[in-house]
Amino acid sequence: MSCEQVRLQIGGDPGNSTAELEQHLRDCESCRQFRAEVRTLDANIRRALERPPAAAVTARFTASWRPWALAASVLLAMLAVLAVWALRPSDTLAREVVAHVQEEPESWLARQQVDAQSIDSALRSAGVRLDITSDRISYAQSCWFRDHYVPHLVVQTAQGPVTVMILRNQHVSGRRTFHEQGMSGVIVPAPPGSIAVLTRGGANLDALTAQMLQDVRWLPDAP
Amino acid sequence: MRNSRPESPVSSIGERLSGADPQASVTQLFESMRPDLLRFAHWLARDRSLAEDIVQESLLRAWRSRDTLKDRGAARAWLLTIVRREHARLYERKRLELVSLDEALESQVPAKAADPEGDLFTLRNAIMKLPIEYREPLLLQVLGGFSTDEIARELALSSTAVLTRLFRARNKLRAFCGMSPAPDVSTSEAAS
Repeated sequence: MSCEQVRLQIGGDPGNSTAELEQHLRDCESCRQFRAEVRTLDANIRRALERPPAAAVTARFTASWRPWALAASVLLAMLAVLAVWALRPSDTLAREVVAHVQEEPESWLARQQVDAQSIDSALRSAGVRLDITSDRISYAQSCWFRDHYVPHLVVQTAQGPVTVMILRNQHVSGRRTFHEQGMSGVIVPAPPGSIAVLTRGGANLDALTAQMLQDVRWLPDAP
Repeated sequence: MRNSRPESPVSSIGERLSGADPQASVTQLFESMRPDLLRFAHWLARDRSLAEDIVQESLLRAWRSRDTLKDRGAARAWLLTIVRREHARLYERKRLELVSLDEALESQVPAKAADPEGDLFTLRNAIMKLPIEYREPLLLQVLGGFSTDEIARELALSSTAVLTRLFRARNKLRAFCGMSPAPDVSTSEAAS
């Protein structure tokens, strides 16, 4: 078994093992360390799930806040959520794209090429096809974003990884650049939707944006 | 519908059944598992009220299909499966992505607390934030006790795809909790 196979097995099912896996672990210090970490994490996951989620949060808040303060916070939070909704889509789309990318930090770390089937799988659920299959795509997921599945890709460029989100259901009136949370990016109209392209470094996004605009095909039978 | 509190089908059926009726024990069996089912549904749906509706509907479905349950020892897994499917039905029907109270308040919560209970709190929030395609198999495995093959059958995926999702779920939790995530696996769900 390779280290990658072993880590997939351990990360997927840390409580399970095989003779082959144990044999690998005897000779591989880093995989042994990985299993120890994952098993510790898994024990914490089990403890975390012992209580239902709301109770967990509520208990934490009621322990440190007076009930009226909690009520006020809830009201403020609800007002904040309402305000966000009232302002969307024009002002918050970029922010939500950035927030989504921040929630998948491992996407920037992927380096290996994703195979064509995985790319197709990520695109298909959003009713999108790419005319080319880039050998530079290192991450391809179908992500839930604003009530729709959208393709979330990371493309390796000479200047570092660049994230692309193909947003069939998000309409923008014109090209918009943004700088948020250490990321810079651009959202461009791509009727009937739009495409967001982001970088954490100083990658020039223009060439990739132009290529995506040229290569994205919207399928008529979108889900 | 979501906020209504219909009378429990299991309880009401139970009331109609006399103690001598062997089916009353089925009612008791189902009812004894309600807390587990509710917790599972709550983590799936991330909304208490919705979870209660899901469990209610699931118990009703289970009662209607009770004759198919041959082995009472398998009742828990059977009921959890029904709850998962009921949640999936609801999710597909309404495309629900609820912003719960927890999430609305999340911005006020420290990213990582120092005490062990604080770490668990961070982890609970991280689990809540997992996309459904990662949260669902994780809950089936950890809360439901399902094997990889059983999850694969339930989700109509290959076993490798399930392992990949579970690997990525834990990897995301590592990242959420401030640990460095392991390199992603190249195994593709589609190809496996």
